[in-house]
Amino acid sequence: MLDYLLAQTVNGLVIGVLFALIATGLTIIFSILKVVNFAHGELYMMGGYFAYYVISWFALPPLPAVLAAMAISFAFAVMVERGLLTPLYSPTIERKADYGILITFGLSVFLRNIAIILFGPFPLRPPSFFAGDLVVGGVIVSYDRLVAAGVGLLLLGGLIFFLNRTVWGQALNAVSQSRESASIIGINSQRIYMLAFGLGGALAGGAGALIAPIYSLSPSMGLVPDTQAFVIVILGGLGSVSGTIISALLLGVAQNLFIAFLPDPSRGPSYANAFGLGIMMLVLLFRPTGIFGRQHVAMD
Amino acid sequence: MRAFDWALLLLLAAFAAVFPFLVDAYWLHVMIVAMMFAIMAASWALLAGYAGQFSFGHMGFVAVGGYTAGILATAAGVPLPLGMLAGVVASALAGVLIGWTCLRMSGPYLAIFTMAFSEVLRITVVTEVEVTGGAGGMTVPQLFHAATDFPYYYLILALLIVSVGGMMLVVASRWGLFFRAIRENEQAAAAAGVKVTRFRIIAFALTSSIAGLAGAFYAPYIGILTPDVASQDQMGLVVAMAIVGGMESLPGAVAGAIAVEFMVEALRSYGEWRLVLFGALLLVTMRFARNGLITPAWLRFRGFASPRAAQLAKEGVR
Repeated sequence: MLDYLLAQTVNGLVIGVLFALIATGLTIIFSILKVVNFAHGELYMMGGYFAYYVISWFALPPLPAVLAAMAISFAFAVMVERGLLTPLYSPTIERKADYGILITFGLSVFLRNIAIILFGPFPLRPPSFFAGDLVVGGVIVSYDRLVAAGVGLLLLGGLIFFLNRTVWGQALNAVSQSRESASIIGINSQRIYMLAFGLGGALAGGAGALIAPIYSLSPSMGLVPDTQAFVIVILGGLGSVSGTIISALLLGVAQNLFIAFLPDPSRGPSYANAFGLGIMMLVLLFRPTGIFGRQHVAMD
Repeated sequence: MRAFDWALLLLLAAFAAVFPFLVDAYWLHVMIVAMMFAIMAASWALLAGYAGQFSFGHMGFVAVGGYTAGILATAAGVPLPLGMLAGVVASALAGVLIGWTCLRMSGPYLAIFTMAFSEVLRITVVTEVEVTGGAGGMTVPQLFHAATDFPYYYLILALLIVSVGGMMLVVASRWGLFFRAIRENEQAAAAAGVKVTRFRIIAFALTSSIAGLAGAFYAPYIGILTPDVASQDQMGLVVAMAIVGGMESLPGAVAGAIAVEFMVEALRSYGEWRLVLFGALLLVTMRFARNGLITPAWLRFRGFASPRAAQLAKEGVR
């Protein structure tokens, strides 16, 4: 039993790292563009497929393919932002929040269904990073999961460095605090919007590419991470990157332990998502700024 | 309303009355489904377009209505019409509950909360196989024992007229004004004396009971109820219908629903391209024609008869 709980905790941490990649992207997009991206799970799905096709067409090894998928996801997200989200910055559009919700929701339906045509409805699986399992005592963890978590942690570390220690990161922070003040000191806000959405897309795409060898790819794979990412960002407080990472790890572990402790094992996996959603509904009710939320980025 | 409108409405009513005699059983079925979607789309348009409460949980209320009717009729042995009524009441209560719990939320928070409500409901239905039949679905007895779908057609036509007519009366009344005031600015509305709390809950209760009505009809008509009713793709279809029609016009939403549903069927041979097309339609409409496609076209058409409508069409409907 103890081994089982340990294994569940390790799996939870691995999933937590990948969820953190998806959710930090969502939170960055929110704090810069003031839009909740309902198509974020679909960007994650596209990232997984980009990795798959980079591997099968150009015979790239799996790990460089993750980076390639992130680059393609970045470009794809920037195209989406230029094509669909520019009305958000126009002064003539009323009720921008509603527009943002509907356009990204429409995008999620569109991408999910065009993926069925482009990639086929059947699950695809790219090759493993490293075949085999790591066995420590009674705990078995596949190398794929360890690699995914390791790369995910590196990416998160890189992201935190980028946000806190580079000019671009400071510019992002400035725009998230005040668009007007940022443009007064000469920050080109259009570029920052592109950067933020591209970065969010790249992080989600990277998570998709990392998870591809563990679970298979399917056009509807974005649905669950989509809602789970909402759970995480609400828990961590919309706009807070470190809060998002912490709550992603917490949620990953909590859900896996929930599965382990639920008396009826057949219902565990399906209720695990409902468990997270239930927690999110409670947080929304009683502490809408989340556990680590920053007041100034709250939605007005 | 002038003579032109009355004449058109009369023509439409006459067409609706004889429609079943003009088409074969297949297109009659399509029309029945389209009118069911029209009820869902119009009630969502009232909630999101008029009252400004962006809910992605609307199909959850449809599921509440459908499953309440289905479970009562099969497991509890309640007569089906009574079960359907109970379905409407249950979804109204669920609407009050959701409307009350998310009083402090707006915009994306509300959208996420209601989406979560709908997902939790869907997951519960999938998992509790003994009660709901799970993902495989639940068989619901028929309401009418007739050889054709004629009784269903006239029932849904009556439900559509009553529910959309009732909602249009609400929208035209002071309540409609309150809804729009809340949508534009909650604080200002409260300062002007609108009881924001009360009317937000009323908006949720009213629209979700109508969604539940559509669900309660759906269950015995289709005969099999699956958790897919509450899926995000179904929600997307209803949203697309309301947006194509024009979110701030209830007849527009009805027209949008019927147009989209008939297109869905006409494109059946294209299989999975259909939802792609509607996703694209939703994106293009939102991006380039936020008043919808049908309402502005209608106003332009009306412009031949009335200069005022032509003016409105030029300025865009607010």
